[in-house]
Amino acid sequence: MISNYNIAYGFHESASRYPTHEALVAGAERFTYRDLETAVQRLSAALAPNLTSGRVGILATRSSQACIGILATAWAGGTYVPISLKLPAGRMLELFDILDLDALIVDPAGQKLLTPDLEARAPAAIFAPGDAPGEFKRLRETGTASNPAVASAPAQIDSDHTAYIEFTSGTTGRPKGVMVSTSAVSAYLDAMHGWYDFGATDRAAETCDITFDLSVHNMLTTWKAGAALFIMRPLDMLAPARFINNHNITTWLSVPSVVAMARKAGGLSRGSMPSLRISLFCGEPLPVDAANAWQQAAPNSIVDNIYGPTEVTIACLRQTWTSNGRETESRGIVAIGHPYPSVKARIVDADLQPVQDGVSGEIALAGAQLADGYFRQPELTAERFPSIDGERWYLTGDRGFMDADGVFHHLGRLDNQIKLHGHRIELEEIDAGLREAANTDLAVAVAWPLNNGIAEGLVGFCSGSNRDALEISNRLRAILPPHMVPARIDQIDDMPLNANGKIDRNALTRRLEAEQLNLEVAS
Amino acid sequence: MISPHIDTVRETIAGMLVARGQEAHFGEDESLFDSGRLDSIAAVDVLMTLESQFGIDLSDPDFDISRIDTLQEIDRLLMAHAS
Repeated sequence: MISNYNIAYGFHESASRYPTHEALVAGAERFTYRDLETAVQRLSAALAPNLTSGRVGILATRSSQACIGILATAWAGGTYVPISLKLPAGRMLELFDILDLDALIVDPAGQKLLTPDLEARAPAAIFAPGDAPGEFKRLRETGTASNPAVASAPAQIDSDHTAYIEFTSGTTGRPKGVMVSTSAVSAYLDAMHGWYDFGATDRAAETCDITFDLSVHNMLTTWKAGAALFIMRPLDMLAPARFINNHNITTWLSVPSVVAMARKAGGLSRGSMPSLRISLFCGEPLPVDAANAWQQAAPNSIVDNIYGPTEVTIACLRQTWTSNGRETESRGIVAIGHPYPSVKARIVDADLQPVQDGVSGEIALAGAQLADGYFRQPELTAERFPSIDGERWYLTGDRGFMDADGVFHHLGRLDNQIKLHGHRIELEEIDAGLREAANTDLAVAVAWPLNNGIAEGLVGFCSGSNRDALEISNRLRAILPPHMVPARIDQIDDMPLNANGKIDRNALTRRLEAEQLNLEVAS
Repeated sequence: MISPHIDTVRETIAGMLVARGQEAHFGEDESLFDSGRLDSIAAVDVLMTLESQFGIDLSDPDFDISRIDTLQEIDRLLMAHAS
C-alpha cells in the first residue's frame, strides 16, 4: 500500500508501458492509452487552475466523458464527486450548495440536465463535451483563452487525500457523502491484484453507474493492468452474455441482481460466456442458484463473492465460490468469507464487545480500507466509526456471525436499510419524502415484494393525507430519485403502531403477505 | 412505422411511462432506456411482451437486446421477425 497513492498512477504507468493498447471503449468511441492520457492531461490542465476545495462534480455516467473526468480530476490532484443524473433538480441544487465544488464535468446526458436554474448555482467552471471524442470545452468561457501547462504525470498528493466522495441514502431523509481516501483505494487495489492476475490482455466490462463504487473497481483494476474497459449501456445489462461475447470480455464485476434479470430475459444459457475468466459479484447477497447459473454459463471463469459497504472502500471480505465455496445455509446465499489483508472484521454485540463464534451480532470492520467518514457530518461519523480499544472501527449495521472456521456470514440488516436492484436505500429516507409528498406524519415505505428475503420493490403507505395516490407519487418524484419512489402507494385508515407509538413496518409487511395469500387462494 | 403490431407496443410503453408519473407521449426515435426514462424492469417487461405476444425468440443469438431503445428500433425488429 502506498500512502501517497494518486488513483491515476496505475493508469499513467500503463499509458507509458502500453501506449497503443486499447484503454476505453464507449459505444463507437475507442481510446488507446495514449489517446486517453492526452485527453486526461488536457482536461486536467484546464481544471487545475480552478481547484481550491479540490472537489470536482462529475454529472455524467456510462460515458467516455465520465471516465476522462474522473481521471483528469485525480491527475490534477482533486477529489471527484459523482452526481447521479437521476436526481430530481431540487436535490441536485442542494448538492451543489453543500459541496462547494470547484468545477463540474458533464457528459451529453448531464449537459441536457443543466437548466438555467441549475447552471446558475453550479460552479463557474463547467466542462462539457467538445467537438471531437475526448475533447472538452468550457461553458461560459470568460476572458482570453489561455494555454494552461500540461502536467506529464499525476499530481503529488498528501497521504490523507480524499480520492472521491460517494453519496448514499441517509436515514435523515438526505443522502450522506462517504469520503474515501486514496490510501484506502490503494489498499483495496493491492488486495485484488494480489489475488487476481488482471493483465494487459484482459477486457473488462463497466457494469455500473459511477455513483456506485463498484465502478471504481472496474476502472482502476483495469487501467492498472493495462487492460481495456468496455462501457455497458443500461440495456446491455439485460443481456450480459451478448455484450460479453461481442467484446470477448474476460473479467466481470457486477451486482448479483444482474444475474436474476438476465435469467428472466432468457439470456444466460449453459456455456454461453466462454471468454470470461474472472467473475466477481458484490453489493447484495449472492444467491447460491445465481452463482451456479453464472458458473454454468461461464465454464472457464472463477466465480467469487465479495462483500463490503462503501464506507470500507468497495469490498473488504471475500468468499471464493468456484473453489471451496461456502454457503450461508439459512439464507441460500454465498457466505461473505474472510477479510481482505489490510482489513479486520469481527462480530460485536450492542455494547461493541466481541461475541463468541456462531453467535450473531453486528459486523464491525477496521483497517486501512476504512473511509474517512461522512462529508460535513461529524456526529454521524463519530456514531458509525467509533473507537474500540483505541482503534477506529466502522459499524456496518449488517447482522452476521462468524463460524468455527472463521468464515463470516451475512444475515441481513439491523436497521431499515435495504438493497433494491443494487441500490442501497434507507427506508427512512423514503419515509421522509413520503411525509412531505403526502402532507401527513403517518407515512412509511416497506420493501415488497420479497423473494427469499431479498427486496424486489417498494410499497408506500400513508394515512390521513388530503392528496390522492397519484398526486403523492408525482410530488415524491420531485423529491427522490426514481429507484426510491414506491411503485404502489396505499392510503389506509388504520396505520399500525407499535408499543412505542411508532409506525409498525413489520405489521404492514404482514398485511401485504396476507393480501398475497388471499390472491393466491382466490386464483 | 410499418409493423401492424407497433400500436400495441406504443400503448404498452405509454402505460409504463404513465405508471412512472411521466407523460404518455414519446417520439418514435426517442431513447427510452439509455436515457433513463424507463428502468431495466420496464425493459424486461417490454421484452416479455415481445416474446409472449409477438413470438420474438429472446434466446435467438441474432436477437440484439440493445436494439429496443426506441420505438423505431422495435418496429424494425418486429418487421424482421415477420419476414
